[in-house]
Amino acid sequence: MFEIKVNGKWYKVSAFEDEPLLWVLRERLGFTSVKFGCGIGVCGACTVLLNHKAVRACTLSIKEANKKEILTIEGIPSHHPLKRAWIKYQVSQCGYCQPGQILEIYALLLENPSPSEKELTEKLNGHLCRCGTYVRIKKAVKEVVKELKAGGKK
Amino acid sequence: MITRREFLKISALTLAVAITPEGYKIFRAEEVPSQINPNLWIELSKDNYLTVLINKSEMGQGVYTGLSMIVADELDFPWERVRAKASPAGKLYIDPKMKEQLTGGSTSVRNMYFVLRKAGASMREMLLFAASKKLGIPKKDLLAKGGFIIEKKTGKKHPYAEFLEEAKNIPLPKEPPLKKPEEFIYIGRSLPRLDTEEKINGKALFGIDAKIKGMLYAVVERPPYFGGKPLKVDKSDALKVPGVYDVFPISTGVAICGDSFWACEKARDKIKIKWSESPLMNWNDEDFEKFFLHKLKEKGVVVKKTGDPERVFKNSEIVLENTYLLPYLYHATLEPMSTLVWVKKEECHIYVPTQWQTSVIRSAEKITGLPEEKIKVYTTYLGGGFGRKANVEFVEEALEISKKTGKPVKLIYTREDDIKSGYFRPMNAAFIKASADKKGNLTALSFKIAVQPLLGGRASVEGLEDMLYHIPNLYVERVDVDLPVTYWFWRAVGSTHNAFILETFLDKMAKLMKIDPVDLRLNLLKREPIARRVVERAAEISSWGKTPRKGAVMGFAYHYSFGTHVAEVAEVILDEKTGKIKVPKVYCVIDHGPVTVHPDLIKSQMEGAICMGLSMALKEAVRFEKGGVKNTNFHTYEILKFEEAPEVEVEILNSQRPMGGVGEPGLPPIAPAVANALFWGYGLNITRLPLTPEYVKTLLTRKG
Repeated sequence: MFEIKVNGKWYKVSAFEDEPLLWVLRERLGFTSVKFGCGIGVCGACTVLLNHKAVRACTLSIKEANKKEILTIEGIPSHHPLKRAWIKYQVSQCGYCQPGQILEIYALLLENPSPSEKELTEKLNGHLCRCGTYVRIKKAVKEVVKELKAGGKK
Repeated sequence: MITRREFLKISALTLAVAITPEGYKIFRAEEVPSQINPNLWIELSKDNYLTVLINKSEMGQGVYTGLSMIVADELDFPWERVRAKASPAGKLYIDPKMKEQLTGGSTSVRNMYFVLRKAGASMREMLLFAASKKLGIPKKDLLAKGGFIIEKKTGKKHPYAEFLEEAKNIPLPKEPPLKKPEEFIYIGRSLPRLDTEEKINGKALFGIDAKIKGMLYAVVERPPYFGGKPLKVDKSDALKVPGVYDVFPISTGVAICGDSFWACEKARDKIKIKWSESPLMNWNDEDFEKFFLHKLKEKGVVVKKTGDPERVFKNSEIVLENTYLLPYLYHATLEPMSTLVWVKKEECHIYVPTQWQTSVIRSAEKITGLPEEKIKVYTTYLGGGFGRKANVEFVEEALEISKKTGKPVKLIYTREDDIKSGYFRPMNAAFIKASADKKGNLTALSFKIAVQPLLGGRASVEGLEDMLYHIPNLYVERVDVDLPVTYWFWRAVGSTHNAFILETFLDKMAKLMKIDPVDLRLNLLKREPIARRVVERAAEISSWGKTPRKGAVMGFAYHYSFGTHVAEVAEVILDEKTGKIKVPKVYCVIDHGPVTVHPDLIKSQMEGAICMGLSMALKEAVRFEKGGVKNTNFHTYEILKFEEAPEVEVEILNSQRPMGGVGEPGLPPIAPAVANALFWGYGLNITRLPLTPEYVKTLLTRKG
């Protein structure tokens, strides 16, 4: 039996020791917003926050996540600047990779509210989008970073 | 899922749109004759919501938004009270032009535009008549606006829903007045998509998210090479894994079922399978290349012959020929194939991210023996489609497994399964030859392609036999290739290779002719004013012919596909030391006909198609080893990444002609535009893709 906290609530769950956190979240706990894309940690679709840091849930075992705190896209409020920017720029197409993209930037901003373009690019390079929403993700993220910087100065 | 009978019970005003032998017709829900099959339902509810039940699959292109806004505009209804839903599947919902329930060929808006406007206008007129009757005010003194019937004299407002009961008894207007373009409230405007919020709040349900209590999970182990079948399966160790339910062979491989995906995956490692042999089992990349080049020498089918190109070649001073070789391509939908299926004795339920519901039903009829009305298909959101999800082999596998186990089964492809299953954009070898006169015209063109044929070969030569360039002597031949590698439609289909070959070859001809490539295209399009304007505008907005940004070279390409003209100009930067290519900016001009419903959706389709086409140009090829796929996940089958996406500037043009599509036509021009930039800038004679650093360096050395 393992215990994890998801979006502020504790869950007890039984699973294989080596079972990836991804499948525990999706199948055993019903958090289907965490997406399966590659299973080897290269596409970013399964990104969640583990103790406030972005991780790939497909290559992290439930054993490693035990007793830790997880945040999924449902845990980010609708009025968060990232979600607002996503709507403003109408970023999503099929939508499948989008929770992972947003969570990655959310985690980066927690750590560093004014990341450089290089840091943003490095993080986003790890998130594949076949629909080609990259162009808009760039616009949305840049605007949020700018907003946070301006807010910080006040 | 709502059935036809349930529609009639709901106390709402519901209209149905159907195709009849006389063309499109609109019916009141209560009056749909039993022999008529509506394919779209529009419902105005008591609580004043408009629901549009859509027979097309939402795979990111925004079809729920685009089709709903056409109805809502004529009805004059507030956008925030509009909902779109997936319609059920079946004969009732087939696309009238394709005779199938299928989302493909860039057809959704162009097939439905006028009838959806008429449906919205009919509903509006019925509400006005009903209001006039109930309020005792002449219809001419009433106005339908923003979801309200407004009394012109007093300004008093009544929500549409107030008149639903009366409206249900109003006969359907024969010729409801359609709005004049200047009266449109939505058409031509970029309204917020209906699906964005669900998609960023984690609520959107994809095929892989479907769930039924008590369901089994399943994975399928497929042969290591194309053409293999399981001969002998040793499952004894696999069955010892806790949670594993059963292991058995199916048509395509060996199915492993269990109470969780992970149990199946653990068991998969422990099965021993002996596979049947395949003629391909020792083929590597070089063998495929040799095979296709050899096939190109065989005699094929003559698809088109105008004039006599061979005779013209003999008498021409300017003649050029090239042989091209282009690889198999993988769709790489981010959501791999996945479906939840339950075959019961009396009925069958299928939750599926599909582009082709009719094909799903046909497969289910065949495998279960049940009639269509017992097969319930629930279309989920598609995590990417690009043509791949119009193939239904994954549904057939799940049906087989559920039939055998008697349980609901969720089949999930791992990424490796997804690539190994194939259904690729077909590989092909092509020979092209052309001649020119000294006045800047092409006098003859001959083209021959060896390829696995799609749509009986028609799709494999599209963009060639029907090209708009005026070339008096034209010859097109196709050699049909038969191989066990599975192949299928890939966004923009035959144009993905044909536009690349034709458009890069045109630039090579232009150089021999000492003429600007844009001028050459304008010469060849003398009789095509719409195409000419697209080419001219792309040249203008990209400042064609002027000095590009420092270190960059520019390339141009134009292509007509799916009823739409697109010209693209790519700014390309090549690092000659490393062979690495960067495309910082792409200019795109599209003419898709008379009406633009939603400019921003078109823009996003152009951005997306350009990213996918650039990915194809720079990175993608399925590689083979011993008859199977060698690059089986995203670390080896790489697709375009964030930093490689160009800035895209789109201009949308309109012209008076039948409406064209937008989902695919943005893709074909980008790869040739990039290659043309490298041709003019660095003299690279590109005849293959992808433009990997290794290939580019080889070309640079060859040139030196």
